[in-house]
Amino acid sequence: MDFFLDLIVIGLSIGMVYALVALGISLIFSGLDIVHFAHGEIYMIGAYIGLSLFDKLKIGYVPTLTLAVIITGFIGMAIERLFYRRLTRAGGGYTVAGLGMVIAGFGMSIVLQNLAFLIWGAKARPFPVPYGMPLEIGDLSLPMSYVWIVVAAITFMVILHIVLRHTMIGLAMRAVAHNKDIAYLSGVNVPLAISLIFGVACALGAAAGVLVGPINYVQVTMGTQVLLKAFAAAVVGGFGSLPGAVLGGLLVGVVESLGAGYVNGAYKDIYAFILLITVLMVKPSGILGVEAKVKA
Amino acid sequence: MTAMLDIKDLTGGYGAVQILNGASLKVEKGQIVALLGGNGTGKSTLLKATSGLIRPWGGSITFDGARIEGLAPDAIVRRGLVQVTQGKEAFPAMTVEENLMLGAYVVRSRAQRARSLERVYTYFPILKDKRRQLSGTLSGGQLQMVCIGRGLMSDPRMIMLDEPSAALAPQIVMEIFRTIHRITQDGMTVLMVEQNVRMALLLAEYGYVIKDGVIHIEGPATSLISDDNVRLSYLGGTVADREAHL
Repeated sequence: MDFFLDLIVIGLSIGMVYALVALGISLIFSGLDIVHFAHGEIYMIGAYIGLSLFDKLKIGYVPTLTLAVIITGFIGMAIERLFYRRLTRAGGGYTVAGLGMVIAGFGMSIVLQNLAFLIWGAKARPFPVPYGMPLEIGDLSLPMSYVWIVVAAITFMVILHIVLRHTMIGLAMRAVAHNKDIAYLSGVNVPLAISLIFGVACALGAAAGVLVGPINYVQVTMGTQVLLKAFAAAVVGGFGSLPGAVLGGLLVGVVESLGAGYVNGAYKDIYAFILLITVLMVKPSGILGVEAKVKA
Repeated sequence: MTAMLDIKDLTGGYGAVQILNGASLKVEKGQIVALLGGNGTGKSTLLKATSGLIRPWGGSITFDGARIEGLAPDAIVRRGLVQVTQGKEAFPAMTVEENLMLGAYVVRSRAQRARSLERVYTYFPILKDKRRQLSGTLSGGQLQMVCIGRGLMSDPRMIMLDEPSAALAPQIVMEIFRTIHRITQDGMTVLMVEQNVRMALLLAEYGYVIKDGVIHIEGPATSLISDDNVRLSYLGGTVADREAHL
């Protein structure tokens, strides 16, 4: 029983990391109508920025996390403005759903990986955060790094929820996700809102990267793996649905953890995709997905 | 007296297809002006070019003394000119109140937004009862009210309505038109695109008929309504009328 609970807790905390990345992917999909294949690299860049801040500035973990999230958010906005926006302009609209953007995403992922390689090197680097003693709850002993992931991820999700549901800028972001013309005619600066959606999505990716750093090493290739898991999570939950991304992330994390614990740890990466295939066979739109294009 | 909205020789279209071939019209302050015409004559294109959704190819658009052609839609909304699109496009996953609040996006002050909301509720009391409902659950007439209400939320000086009567029951159309009349009595200037020509000319003071992207006929509503060309083409004149004309 203890073993089972341990696996659930580990699964949920890794699931939170997948959920944050999946949230970003879903946000970008609903706001920009593109599937962003470089999102794993945003997560990696976020982790490196966090590590550098932590090493060089010697600030605490919370300021590191906050700063890395903000910086990566702005980097995301710059990437959207400088590169993706050109493609969308060429398409004549605000966004372009098509192969051009998919290929641009892959290209961006290669560029970002190599950029990180140039700046930080190929060696996996530890992210040594002095967490202190594990948290004891009854018989359960939880490493603080996992507790941190859960607490911080939930905090980011609550902030996102409040911004989207209870502020004018959140209302505008939801409007842009659903109908850009009507949002524009309501006075929303649509190009700016699109940048903002992209920035927020990248900020969430960076949060995931900085949170996972202390339990894994930080390395250039870390984005590729998490991207696949986060895509599986987003699709399991229902692509484009934000609650679906969170649910999908947690499910992928737990299934992966249980599979590794009870079946075979060597095949850890397979379980997420078994879950994905199963869900797609039963409900192709994902658990919380809607058939029609009703977003936001 | 200078016009509130003065459009001169407007040309424009989509891609390589030219729709507007030099349309000119004027709307005076406090007026209701009807823009009439059949399908595909350029009515909606003219509105979209004016509101900034599409960039005009040529000509000028002057709103309240300043040139606005080529500005982004949000900049035009900030100047006090709002377009309500055809097709009752609301955000189905948002509540009625959220839909309306979005229209006040350019309004900085929270108190001002609350005042605008109350004003819209006095025009459309039913929306107040339904304010917590998702707009996806509303009837067509109520959706149209949400769209017009959203257009009023930024407290504009002029509003452009694209077929407010489209696909609505006659009784609802009457109700919507009565409210549009009330809104103009409170000082709003209105440019209204309509296919329901008879109703539009009863409400409007001045009318333009657009054909092939240019203004074909114009005049005071009372003279347009008795104009033979308008009657035959748009008011469904009687068979006798038609034969007399041939």
